[in-house]
Amino acid sequence: MSRSHVGRWALAVFLLTLPAGMAAAAGFRGGELSPPRAAPDLVLKDQDGAAFRLSRQRGQVVLLSFGYTFCPDVCPTTLAELVQARARLGEAARRVRIVFVTVDPERDTAERLREYTRAFGRAFTALTGEAAALAEARKAYGVTAEKRAVKGTAAAYLIDHSAMVHVIDAEGRVRLMFPFGTSVDDMEHDIRLLLRR
Amino acid sequence: MPHVFGASAPAILIALAICAAGRPAVAQQPGGTIIVEGAWARRAPMMGHAMPGHGAAMAKGNGAVYVTLRNPGAEPDTLLSAATDVAHTVELHETIHDAGVMRMRPLPKFAIPAGGQLAMKPGGYHLMLLGLTRELKPGETVRVTLTFEKAGRLAVEAEVR
Repeated sequence: MSRSHVGRWALAVFLLTLPAGMAAAAGFRGGELSPPRAAPDLVLKDQDGAAFRLSRQRGQVVLLSFGYTFCPDVCPTTLAELVQARARLGEAARRVRIVFVTVDPERDTAERLREYTRAFGRAFTALTGEAAALAEARKAYGVTAEKRAVKGTAAAYLIDHSAMVHVIDAEGRVRLMFPFGTSVDDMEHDIRLLLRR
Repeated sequence: MPHVFGASAPAILIALAICAAGRPAVAQQPGGTIIVEGAWARRAPMMGHAMPGHGAAMAKGNGAVYVTLRNPGAEPDTLLSAATDVAHTVELHETIHDAGVMRMRPLPKFAIPAGGQLAMKPGGYHLMLLGLTRELKPGETVRVTLTFEKAGRLAVEAEVR
């Protein structure tokens, strides 16, 4: 090979292995925030009507998602998978909290959220609040939620929304994002890594 | 093994007899055949009472059923509708990923291509159960009747997970 070919080969190999190298160094499979950012506080009400502050959850890894109880597919799937991932942690599960913030305060009263969480074995905290407080929370976390009247369904409206899970460490920093479709294996793997620190 | 005839009533009865939760079942008419397998339902609660202005029957709780529809024939077929006793209405929906935003849209029918399949799964095609009449608890089964344009009608048992 001529010198220029060797050079191009070396560059190609370097560029192709660079992402793998970076992932290997960090160890996470989900999308890592580098550097981590301070998790914006959430001041909302939980399903029992009690005040909830995200900033009081230090010491716990928080798995934060946004959705609504009318949603039959995406939200129950995300929650079921988070519940599964946490259950696999055994003893360490006590240090992990699943938090679900509604994007549909019109329908999702505290009572409705209480019954929703019961279906999952009360394994997570569901939050609601005034429309303005919820809109602020979504803005802080970069979450889209668009209410839509759709033809061809008996539903009065549907809500299009971001389905990311935001992973907050025990020091209150957003560390990872799990896009919809992240496997339970990968979630478990990453949560274990965060708990190890 | 019972012989499946073309008439729809005996076909439904026989299909029910041989179909256990998740096991393949066959909808068959002279015009088409659809093999239905892997039926399961997501656990779902009933919540509170109906709220005014939200389509009264719809607001108590919704569920989703996922099933794979295989078309071994030379002609395309279509899932036209579905029904169940555990919900007021069943609609055909597709969840679309749009740069991280999940959008759900109703579809009038699901096309099942000739020699192909339509596989429903979380985050994709699904049967939306609107207005549950009871809670769906893991381990239970839910009966859903599917109506195909050519292959006729078939009842399947979906296991709740």
